Amino acid sequence: MIQIRNLSKVYGHRRALDGLDLTLGTGVTGLLGPNGAGKTTLLRCLATTLAPSGGSIEAYGLNPADPVQRTALRRRLGYLPQDPGFYPHFTVFDLVDYVAILKEMTVRERRHAEVRRVLAEVDLTDQARLKVRKLSGGMRQRLALAQALLGEPDLLILDEPTVGLDPEQRMLFRALVSRLGESHTVVLSTHQTEDVAALCERVVVMRDGRAVFDGTPGELAGVAAGRVWLSDQAPAASQVFWRTADGRYRTLGDRPPSADATAPGVEDGYLMLLRRHEEAA
Amino acid sequence: MSGWHIPDDLRERYLAGTLDAALAMSVDAHLGRCAKCRAAVPYEPDWLEASWERLEAELIKPRPAPFERLLRHGGVPGHLARLLTATPTMSRAWVVAVVASVAFGVVAARQDADLLPAFLIGAPVLPLTGIALAYGPRVDPAHELMAATPLSGPRLLLTRATAVLAVATVLAAIASPLLPAPPGLSAAWLLPSLAAASGCLALSNRLPVPIAAFAVGGVWLAIVGTGGLVSGSWLAVFGPVAQLGYGLAALLLSFRVYRVSIA
Repeated sequence: MIQIRNLSKVYGHRRALDGLDLTLGTGVTGLLGPNGAGKTTLLRCLATTLAPSGGSIEAYGLNPADPVQRTALRRRLGYLPQDPGFYPHFTVFDLVDYVAILKEMTVRERRHAEVRRVLAEVDLTDQARLKVRKLSGGMRQRLALAQALLGEPDLLILDEPTVGLDPEQRMLFRALVSRLGESHTVVLSTHQTEDVAALCERVVVMRDGRAVFDGTPGELAGVAAGRVWLSDQAPAASQVFWRTADGRYRTLGDRPPSADATAPGVEDGYLMLLRRHEEAA
Repeated sequence: MSGWHIPDDLRERYLAGTLDAALAMSVDAHLGRCAKCRAAVPYEPDWLEASWERLEAELIKPRPAPFERLLRHGGVPGHLARLLTATPTMSRAWVVAVVASVAFGVVAARQDADLLPAFLIGAPVLPLTGIALAYGPRVDPAHELMAATPLSGPRLLLTRATAVLAVATVLAAIASPLLPAPPGLSAAWLLPSLAAASGCLALSNRLPVPIAAFAVGGVWLAIVGTGGLVSGSWLAVFGPVAQLGYGLAALLLSFRVYRVSIA
């Protein structure tokens, strides 16, 4: 169980996190929000790579503000940063092996077996001997995911994990994360509402460093209930709409003339929620 | 398709798992396209999985760099050797820069003995520079990835600093006999180096590593400057009493760093 209480992070005059309260348990929780909402800052605080300016985090009874407990917490987490840097001259195996050493896996045979396991999980076994600099963007993302999986951590923190993955790899990723979510705590941030709908039993929408929604994907979609329309004619330019693949116009908000109501999706609910908050601000 | 099939003796060795990896892979490849040979191999899922694991373990493993192999042969545990050699400032470019600096110091001192203090004063700054560039988000491309692991922080910094200090110390030690000075004076940089490096590590618990290195470097130059102004000789701060002070400071600060690193 992870409890986040009144968490804040200030960069100069900007409040990246503003008194955030959140409790996380077993399962997959998705963080949605526009750029600058505080998702990455929250994940970095959870991953113990960034000290908050105020408030507290308690994970599995451990307080990361204390150096000894912070190290104990790091033994139980796996982290995929938004911008994972690599040593380009390392091979894929070398890099994951290096992180495994930093995760205190000192027995070589056991460590190598674990490295092979996580590389197989992300379908990188055939690339194990390739230099990192020769990998495509999607392969690098899978490599970053592989190192996060080392040691089957209790808490898996994934910052935009599906960036750069092709559709097939995304399906593999979803299968992997949903399986992990059965017995582990997985927190992921994403801009992909499809990932949230497919993967997460809980979604938290962040805006200006605060949680403005906390519920299931279905509940988020419900925010736009009765506010999503399909029409053959383009609505007024003042409305939010886009042309769909079948040539009809999907409108979010007031009903355009001769439009049909349609079931909202997670993306509709998310956009409607942000719009309401922008109007209220 | 050729008419060749796996001979009985080869199949038996394959089944016993005594073939070398390359030959075993050839047999595997043949089995993949020859139904007749496949039929002759008893199929047992557990056995097959164990065989693949053995093959993977043999073929998919890291190939240590020459320096890492050297450390292992020298008795350094494999995981520690890997940590040491992966230090950013253990790269070839950094080592070449240190060699060039030391060589320049020696050549200058041999040309003009008055330049000897420059070598002695500069030697403790070399490991400080290396330590400053060994750990932190600005100098390590994979820092964010590593920062969430239990070994990051003081323990990893200490490991990397040890590697940097060892290289700088060995190179300066090799250069010392070439200096135009008695052996005691030629090695007078050693204790200030150790004190400065351990001071930097101790301070890095509270400050970013580059700032800690810059601060300690500044303190060192201030000590040298003060000594030079008071006594009129740049060599004043390398005397026996000062050396005792550096040695004591190095011991105390190292102990402090050790305590923090195991916390």
